[in-house]
Amino acid sequence: MNCEKIAELLPDFLRGGLERERAEMVEQHLERCAECRDDVDVWQKLALLPAPEAVADSRARFDAVLQAYQAGRAQPEFPASTAGEKAPRRKVFDWLRTPAAALAWSIALLAIGFFAGNGMSRTTSHSEDLAVMRSELSSMRQLVVLSMLQQQSASERLQGVSYSQREAQLDPQVLAALLHTLRHDSNVDVRLAALDALSRHSGQPQVRRGVTDALQNQQSPLVQVALIDQLLEWRDPDLAQRLRDLQRTPDLNPVVRERAEWAINKIQ
Amino acid sequence: MNLVADEELMLQVRNGDSETLGVLFDRYHAPLFNFYARLMGDRGVSEDLVQEVFLRILRYRQSYQPGTPFRPWIYQIARNARMDHYRKNPRQVAFQAEMVPPVAPPDAAQQAQEANLLHRALLQLPEEKREILILARFQELKYGEIAGLLGCELNTVKTRIHRALQDLRKAFRMLEQGMPASGCGPAGPDISLRRAGQ
Repeated sequence: MNCEKIAELLPDFLRGGLERERAEMVEQHLERCAECRDDVDVWQKLALLPAPEAVADSRARFDAVLQAYQAGRAQPEFPASTAGEKAPRRKVFDWLRTPAAALAWSIALLAIGFFAGNGMSRTTSHSEDLAVMRSELSSMRQLVVLSMLQQQSASERLQGVSYSQREAQLDPQVLAALLHTLRHDSNVDVRLAALDALSRHSGQPQVRRGVTDALQNQQSPLVQVALIDQLLEWRDPDLAQRLRDLQRTPDLNPVVRERAEWAINKIQ
Repeated sequence: MNLVADEELMLQVRNGDSETLGVLFDRYHAPLFNFYARLMGDRGVSEDLVQEVFLRILRYRQSYQPGTPFRPWIYQIARNARMDHYRKNPRQVAFQAEMVPPVAPPDAAQQAQEANLLHRALLQLPEEKREILILARFQELKYGEIAGLLGCELNTVKTRIHRALQDLRKAFRMLEQGMPASGCGPAGPDISLRRAGQ
């Protein structure tokens, strides 16, 4: 058995995951081959690396975050948005309108079109075909995101937001939908997740503007704090002024007021 | 001792019992911290990222699908958090050698010396190779789970582990001979290892 063949087996061998016969084959090779033996030796030596020394107070820090989070969620919510909780309705074909079904349909249609097109014209190269298919798949996934963001259940909308993070580039419509979610979704977690997703697209002026505008109308202290942090990170030029405006809001949550103060000091 | 499965705990968190996340924090804090610290070499950043992972679990708890194995799921979040960290803080290549083992007693001197060199060799690998070795050697993930994390085939994972191990071995032996391990970069053209999104 040569090194190439052994290479296929070695990773499983290293973890003791080979059945006896093949493990013996590897062992026989190792007796003859110094290089492969050395690979195994170095793998075993990795056990010598000490575990990095942990940081103190880690659990306390987590507990503080957890408490702040729970306190933030306990704050009163603003009324459910129009996208929100209508009376549940179920029809026989409703499942066809679920995002998963939409995706399945779209992929099936795309595949049919792709192979049919491929059969008719063989002029384009294989890699070009693949590139086209990839970009179409990407825009289809974005359609699915759009559809999921409009679902009634918060968990599906949340999935829509996390689904959007698989795409490096998002269409303006999807960005607009995420911004709408950030401002109007009835669920705090969905709004927070939308902010997370949008923070990756800070290069788009539309996103920066939308996120900045969201600060003033936001009701949940959790989201307000997250927005302040995000805008601080982006070094928004008007941030200090916006934070002062925010501080003038009557009945502003003390935690948010404090965070705004902290951010203003940080800018100066 | 009969431990409640991670997946069961995560379902409780998903259903609104945030306190239960504390149990998962206790189980996963050390492995995740070690993952980051070994990979990035900075304990402060590593701890921040672990905290970020658990905050994200809180926020995204409703997107956890019942039946999803928890360990690969949390590592996916951990990898995303790291990518976002790099996006916000463009890569600082210079490592702080914080993890270099402390001075060892004389009888362990040889071992400490080897660990030191091995650690340096590991830090010389490109991050993709270091990551896959760390995932395979220290993080108790099955190869199939690593394939899922990295978005590639099982066989590709095995090939990458083997190549990374060969590079580590070369770098380590060169350091042992007192040579700078300059020849330990990507061995040959390896398009599949290009970092996604860059």
